Amino acid sequence: MKKVWVIFQKELVDNLRDTRSWTTGLFWAMFGPLILGAMIMLLGNTMRDKLDQPLSLPVLGRENAPNLVAFLSQQDIELVEAPANPRAAVLAGDANVVLIIPADYPDDFSGGKTATLQLVFDSTRQSAMADVARIQNALNGYDRYTGMLRLSLRGVSPDVMRVVRIEEIDTATPQSQALIFLSMLPYFIIFAIFNGAAPVITDATAGERERGSLEPLLINPLPRGWIAIGKMLSAAPFAGFNLVLTLMGFAAIFQFLPIEEMLGVQIGLDGRALFSIFLLCLPIVFLACAIQTLIASYTRTTKEAGTWLPFVGLIPSMPGLALAFLPVKADLWTMLIPTFGQQILINQFLRSEPISASNVLVSSAVTIVFSLVITWVAIKLYETERIVMGR
Amino acid sequence: MIEVLSLSKSFGKVKAVQNVSFNAADGQITGLLGPNGAGKSTTLRMLYTLLKPDSGSATIDGLEISGQPQEVLRRIGVLADARGLYSRLTTRENIRYYGRLHDLEGAALEGQIDQLISLLDMQSIADRRTEGFSTGEKLKVSIARALVHNPPNVLLDEPTNGLDVMSTRAMRAFVLRLREEGKCVLFTSHIMQEVAALCDQIVIISQGVVAATGSPDELRAQTGQENLEDAFVAAIGSEEGLG
Repeated sequence: MKKVWVIFQKELVDNLRDTRSWTTGLFWAMFGPLILGAMIMLLGNTMRDKLDQPLSLPVLGRENAPNLVAFLSQQDIELVEAPANPRAAVLAGDANVVLIIPADYPDDFSGGKTATLQLVFDSTRQSAMADVARIQNALNGYDRYTGMLRLSLRGVSPDVMRVVRIEEIDTATPQSQALIFLSMLPYFIIFAIFNGAAPVITDATAGERERGSLEPLLINPLPRGWIAIGKMLSAAPFAGFNLVLTLMGFAAIFQFLPIEEMLGVQIGLDGRALFSIFLLCLPIVFLACAIQTLIASYTRTTKEAGTWLPFVGLIPSMPGLALAFLPVKADLWTMLIPTFGQQILINQFLRSEPISASNVLVSSAVTIVFSLVITWVAIKLYETERIVMGR
Repeated sequence: MIEVLSLSKSFGKVKAVQNVSFNAADGQITGLLGPNGAGKSTTLRMLYTLLKPDSGSATIDGLEISGQPQEVLRRIGVLADARGLYSRLTTRENIRYYGRLHDLEGAALEGQIDQLISLLDMQSIADRRTEGFSTGEKLKVSIARALVHNPPNVLLDEPTNGLDVMSTRAMRAFVLRLREEGKCVLFTSHIMQEVAALCDQIVIISQGVVAATGSPDELRAQTGQENLEDAFVAAIGSEEGLG
């Protein structure tokens, strides 16, 4: 078994000297954090812009309701002159929403009758709905406020009007609101692991065959399986390093970007969570090395291996992308699928949900067993004549 | 000592080697001579356990190649047809890697490496990365790493291929030196003069079949030709006539 170490050491030195290859791998490690950071900044900016700006509301017939106008102004709503044809303006998208105060409003209002206000908007335009909701809230507030004043004047308690009061208890923690972003994190992590191992493994098997150094290597007195294992293991530090780097990148982004200010939520990705995710992903490092060793020993050339390997990294990371939109519960069956279980568990860590130890164990064990099987197949391939001839 | 008994190997329908038998004794140079594609490399590949023979057997120092491949590999040093080096490792590192795979280490290994470097006159390239080495330099490194464990049997596949005159002469001198050390040297070539100049015994292979075996003198006598090259042509020609 000492010779596995000899192979491992040689491949490590050889690949470390191949700076260009492994630095390309590093790029993939930074890819996830950079993309996620950019997305958060973009969304944060638009959200902040919306909240900070006073809403400007075109109003037609301002002179009909000086009281209402004064109330709205207090609500940080800036009233502006309405376009001549409000419907056309809304339809054309020139205005999100227009308030019309009809001419009979003052008479109805002073007569104690229900006075009508008109709000013109297009409900299919999602981007306008936040403004509409804000105006509706303000108008409802004015309605309640004036109604209460009138009842009080007549000696009736305003509570008569309030049959029920709805108290909203939102179970979403601030963390879970940012989940849509965090759900993509496992995807990037697994992608980084696979891309860290790929260049090393391609070079160590398909590359060796292409350069004609594999045949002389196999003439040395050691079982082929040890050569395969040594080469496979030599990719693990590169994949592991990529994993650490990605996690550190995410940590840095959550640390240095003013996320709370931007999204109004806080993300719980502390050192302990990061370390747990790291441990959780170690079986995936093994899996990535095993799968890629298998492919590299099966394909004929580095070029052919190169067409395969990116897909191989993509497929196991796909469920992570899907998880961003389709929440899946951490049931036992999900833990039986290598990489899928880990992605769900990572999500649970990020959501600060309670993690079941048995889920972690099952997921890790299944992944390791699966990797061992693949390693065994790769060793069998190494023992055939095909490994040298490439056909 | 290498003994080969009716080895056969086919790739699909192509019969690469058929019933090849010969012996290569210690302290002698045995040449496998034959045109390109005659089955020389395939025969060697079976001897160094890379390919499994379809039938027949061979022993190296009495060890069956299919039975004890690890033991066999300890007793042979091979310059294979493929002789790629690790271009990001230095000459010394390339040789050391193979030494360690042969369980050598420490002072014994370093001493052996130094000896091979001076023997093959590689001092100037010993600590350079092998990227960009000339054909001759690459060959020297390949030979050094193949012999780092000082094997009693040496298999060389076309060792002078692509070499210039000076390197070829050096190579021949090196092969003769191996014989002086009492090693069993088996090498393949398609160059008549080379085989004639070096070999104690010649095995002529054509189309996967042994056409003739013997010392240069015996071959001349067998074929009735004065000149070895004519003997070679006669041997192959007769075989083709039979086929």
